[in-house]
Amino acid sequence: MALIDLVVEKIVKIPLESQDKPDVIRELVQILKDAGEIEDFDSVLKGVQDREDKQSTGLEQGIAVPHCKSAAVSSLKLAIGIAPQGIDFDSLDKQPTNLFFLLVASPELSGPHVEALAEIAKLARSKAFCKALVNAENAKEVVDLLQGR
Amino acid sequence: MSNPIKKIMVYVDGTEQSVTAAQYAICLASFSGAELIAHYVINTRAVEDLLKARIFLKDEQVEYEHDMEADAERYLNYIDELAIKKGVSIIKKRSRGSVHKEIVDSIEENDVDLLVIGELSRIRSRRDEFFDESERAMRAVPCSVLIVKDQDRVWEMYESLV
Repeated sequence: MALIDLVVEKIVKIPLESQDKPDVIRELVQILKDAGEIEDFDSVLKGVQDREDKQSTGLEQGIAVPHCKSAAVSSLKLAIGIAPQGIDFDSLDKQPTNLFFLLVASPELSGPHVEALAEIAKLARSKAFCKALVNAENAKEVVDLLQGR
Repeated sequence: MSNPIKKIMVYVDGTEQSVTAAQYAICLASFSGAELIAHYVINTRAVEDLLKARIFLKDEQVEYEHDMEADAERYLNYIDELAIKKGVSIIKKRSRGSVHKEIVDSIEENDVDLLVIGELSRIRSRRDEFFDESERAMRAVPCSVLIVKDQDRVWEMYESLV
C-alpha cells in the first residue's frame, strides 16, 4: 500500500496537546489506537521509545519522523501530529518541532517501510509545503494538502 | 502469429498487491507458455537517502538492508511455491539499488515483453513525492505494463488453474 493511501483524517491530529517529547510520543501512538489501527498500545509505544533512545528522530526545520518495526502490526501504520506552537523533541537543530510523522511497520515489510520513510523524507525537504501543513486548521486540510487536492 | 509475449516479469515487493500480481502472472505464464521472472529489488537507494536525511542511524541502515535481503528470500520463495503448485517454473531475481532503475535494467537485459505490477494507489496526488516505486517503474520501462487489480477475482483465477 502506498503512503498516500494511509493519509486519512482519523490518523491526523491538529493541534497536538502534549508539551514535551515523552508525551508527544504517547499522543502519536494514541492516535493509532483511537483510529483502530493498533491494539497493543504498550508494545508499539516501547518500540518507538526504544528507537528514540538511540537518537532523536527530530530533524531540522521542525520535522520529526519517529518510527519503529513492530510485530504488533501487520501492515504500515501512519499517524500525523501537528503542533503549531512547537514542542522540544531534542531535534538536530535544537529548534522546536511542529510536524510529526509516526510510522510503524511489520518486521516483514521492510521494503515498503523504507519506501514510506523515504517519501516522508522527500516531503520534509519542501519548506513551503511543511509550513502549509503546520498552518492547516484541521485534519481535512492536512489530508487535502498531502493528497495534492 | 506466434505468441507475442515470450517473457514476463513480475515485480515483487512483499505487499499483498505484489503477491496478487504474481498470482496473475503465474496464470498468464501458464496460459501463454511464457517464461516468468519474479524480481525483488532491495531498495538500498532509499536506505542511503534515509541515512543522509538522518532519519536512519548507521546500524539501522545495516539492519534494514539485512531485513530486506531476508524479505527478498522469503517472498521470492513464496512466489516460487505458488508457481510450482500450478506447474509453472519461475526465475527468481534480486538486485540492490534504486527500484525503478533496477527494473528497467533487468527488463532490458532480459528482453522482457511484459511487466506485471500490483495495483497502484487509487489516490492520484499531484505531489511528486508520492509517486511510489511501482508507479515510477511503470512510467520508466520500455515494455508494456499490466496492472493487476481485484485481489479476490485473481485469487479465484489462480485457484482454478490446474
